[in-house]
Amino acid sequence: MNKIFLTAAIMLSTAAQADGEKIAVFTKNLTNPLFQVERLGAESAAKQMGATVQHYVPTKPDSIPEQMSQIEDVAVKRPNAIVFIPVDPKAMVPGIAKINAANIPVVNVTDRAAGGKFVSFIGADDYSLGLETARFLLKAMGGKGNVVIMEGVKASLTNIDRVRGFKKALEENPGVKLLAQQPGNYQRLQALQVMENLMQTFPQIDGVIAANDAMATGVIEAMEAANRKGLVVGINGTKEAIDAIKAGKMLASGDYAGFEQGCLGTMVAIRELHKLPVPKEVVFPASVIHKGNYQPYDVAAEQRACPKYEDLIKK
Amino acid sequence: MSFALSKPGRFIGALTADLKTIAYRLAAAMVICVILTFASDAFLTTNNLLNVLRQASLLFLLASGLTLVILTAGLDLSVGANIGLSACIAASVMKLSGSALLGAASGVGVGMCIGVANGLLVALMRMPPFIATYGMLWVVHGITFWYMAGTTIYGFPSAFRALGSGYFLGVPIPVYLMFVFLTLGAFFAQRTTYGQEIYAIGANRESARLSGVPIARRLILVYTVSGAMAGLASLVFLARMNSAEGDIGEAFTLPAIAAVLIGGTSLFGGVGTVSGTLVGALILTLVLNGMNLLTLDASWQPLVTGVIVILAVFLDTLTRKRAEARK
Amino acid sequence: MNEIAMDEPSRSFSLARVPGVAWILGVLLIGFTAFSRDFLTGPNLHNIGLQSVILLILALPQTMIIMTEGVDIAMGAVLTLASVMLAWVLVHNGSLPLALAAALATGLMFGLANGMLVALLKMPPFVVTLGTMGVAQGLALIVTDGQSIVVNSDALQAVYGGSLAGMPLPLLIAVAVYAFSHVLLYHTRFGTYVFALGGNAEALKLAGIRANAYLIGVYVLGGLMAGLAALILTARMSSGHPTSAIGMEFDAIAAVVVGGTSFEHGKGWLFGTLLGVVAVGVLRNGLNLLAIPSSAQVACIGLLVIVALFIDGLKGKQ
Repeated sequence: MNKIFLTAAIMLSTAAQADGEKIAVFTKNLTNPLFQVERLGAESAAKQMGATVQHYVPTKPDSIPEQMSQIEDVAVKRPNAIVFIPVDPKAMVPGIAKINAANIPVVNVTDRAAGGKFVSFIGADDYSLGLETARFLLKAMGGKGNVVIMEGVKASLTNIDRVRGFKKALEENPGVKLLAQQPGNYQRLQALQVMENLMQTFPQIDGVIAANDAMATGVIEAMEAANRKGLVVGINGTKEAIDAIKAGKMLASGDYAGFEQGCLGTMVAIRELHKLPVPKEVVFPASVIHKGNYQPYDVAAEQRACPKYEDLIKK
Repeated sequence: MSFALSKPGRFIGALTADLKTIAYRLAAAMVICVILTFASDAFLTTNNLLNVLRQASLLFLLASGLTLVILTAGLDLSVGANIGLSACIAASVMKLSGSALLGAASGVGVGMCIGVANGLLVALMRMPPFIATYGMLWVVHGITFWYMAGTTIYGFPSAFRALGSGYFLGVPIPVYLMFVFLTLGAFFAQRTTYGQEIYAIGANRESARLSGVPIARRLILVYTVSGAMAGLASLVFLARMNSAEGDIGEAFTLPAIAAVLIGGTSLFGGVGTVSGTLVGALILTLVLNGMNLLTLDASWQPLVTGVIVILAVFLDTLTRKRAEARK
Repeated sequence: MNEIAMDEPSRSFSLARVPGVAWILGVLLIGFTAFSRDFLTGPNLHNIGLQSVILLILALPQTMIIMTEGVDIAMGAVLTLASVMLAWVLVHNGSLPLALAAALATGLMFGLANGMLVALLKMPPFVVTLGTMGVAQGLALIVTDGQSIVVNSDALQAVYGGSLAGMPLPLLIAVAVYAFSHVLLYHTRFGTYVFALGGNAEALKLAGIRANAYLIGVYVLGGLMAGLAALILTARMSSGHPTSAIGMEFDAIAAVVVGGTSFEHGKGWLFGTLLGVVAVGVLRNGLNLLAIPSSAQVACIGLLVIVALFIDGLKGKQ
């Protein structure tokens, strides 16, 4: 009798524990679709594993003091684990130290922090993503012609690595001439205006390599308005880019796997709580989304469900 | 000099009266053009000049409504946030209904509602415009972020997109819009009782009240116009970008205010012109265009803009002082 | 000087003067205590205090600037630039006092520029500081090339993490700045002129008083305080970042105005500013503890400002 009671009590308590796991997810802003997709991935994973997610997003986009305050507040609230994208990889290091000091396990996702103790890092390889996407464009151009590089925020880590990849691909194709390399700061409007100006200077632009999809779509708008033809590639694999690829307006987009990053980051955090083995680091290999393979990506993130953990770490 | 104007001459009169006050600024804009012509081969080409005009037109549409607000010694910090929400609502109405007209109407409508709310806070509750519209900025942002939830709405009918990226007789359509609203704005400000009352409120609110100007109603009017112009600007933006995101407007607020100030409208109210604002918008756009053509680092943009604002207002203050001394 | 008609600034406390923000703060404190068991705990109150320090250091001089019928919207950008300079000097030289001096000098220069343009050339303060804001922001971007400047300095970390007699250092600095501002505004000639400048600067000038020097002084104070705030901000991030405090001036201005300081006639109240700053800090902290979605948080900050002024407006009508 007592034994049954005890077993029931244990079962109840473990059930309560599994239910009550709270994961705090930190993202950089409310406006970039990438982070929305990552938040949805985190929610999907938590749902599958019976945990709940609470989101912390600075009210001013990418605000360092605000994310710092949110960390301090969350440390008081004590969630079971944290999934963390730093608004700045260097300036947030003292914030991570605070999470570490509070002994809350934390998984670093997307932007690799410059310091602090993490359970794991989950991200994509910006260099090979840039390389593969640019290679795809240059191959489609037949290894010759004129291209333009549209950079993101110049000093950001993602941009530096992606542009390094672009440049490597250009080295491999000596027949292609790089006309210009200008920053569009990851913004659609800036990319559009920069492209308008570049089209004044260069009568023939055969291809554009943009460091993200928002800039790629801005470039496409500018070219369409001026009745100019050219192949455009971007990076991130946003829904908008998929639609543009489907419509034949955009050549390809490097898959940043934002949804999967959100999924895996949260899964790893929960597995750590369950004392299951977790990888120290998962960097998704670069793959390029194009006309031939876009179908699996052509689903709204709200309707997607996380792939199995085993498949994610195999990738 | 006296202006004896026949009725048909009144429109032109409104513009020439403005022209007198903006001669310095036009000269400055010309100097920038000459410098850029020598600095970059690409500058003095038809396409590039049309580009500058098109880029300036969006800024002007936003800044023209703001000019009226600033003429009353007010301020509207919520115009950028307003663009964001108006564009998103217009975009989603257009997507749902399939009607470009309905979408456009709802965009301007949302902009106007935000303007009315600002006007009520400032005129009836007598809140300082600076803070009331700053509070509104946050509220509008909050609604936008909640509504959009980090998504993007894109892909609009080509009839609508012509508003932003179309051409008529080789000139971009927003440029026509710019000149239409320049004429309307200048006429409204210079040649209507409303306009004169708005100047009077800015020059001296107490004496305006004593001479029978309905202050509250005029204030609500200018904030409503400013909101509606933000709504209209959001449509041009939407049509040009073919997509709407929550934060698209924020980058416009301070440049729009800067365009008004460079254009010679005084923050103390009562002094300034809508055509001045056009020149202000042109100067700002020319400088940014030049920096792009010369591939100057984007980091320099805030600094250069800041220096221009100070210079423009400094020259204004000097000329105004001299004019006062002559009296 | 005695012959100048000056409004005697009222310094007494009465219930009618309690600004709307005080009522809101009361409601927030009760609400958050009721709905979050983490709210009224030592560590959390400690957090609210620390998180409010930088805003308070900006808002106090901003109060005085607004009392002179001016405004300083360059403060956030100057704070950012000062933080970058502080980090740069610390990395290249290693001396914290020297780095702090660099930050203060940066603030001093911008304060002087602002004050001289406003006082001597009679340019509108909003325009002047809009211009210098661009300059400071641009310089911060150019100096850093958009990157963070990381500092490994124990002395700097001690500024944020350290404590003296049980009180965290940043809080002590804030208390000192508040006390200093209070004495300056209410018990010195400088303060008397600040009150007078907003009410009737013209009369002061006609009476031959060097009003300009005091007006410049107010902006210099604002710049210096931005430099001091840079010390805490840099320590908090262990680095200087070229956009870290952009836009913070608007938060400071909002806190000042909801605290009951008016853009007209030199009416100002330092304690009200403190209430405004704390209300913003409590609101943000409480919403985080309740895990309210960020989009609602954004709207709540706007509502705080509007409702506070609304209550004040209702009282004004009575």
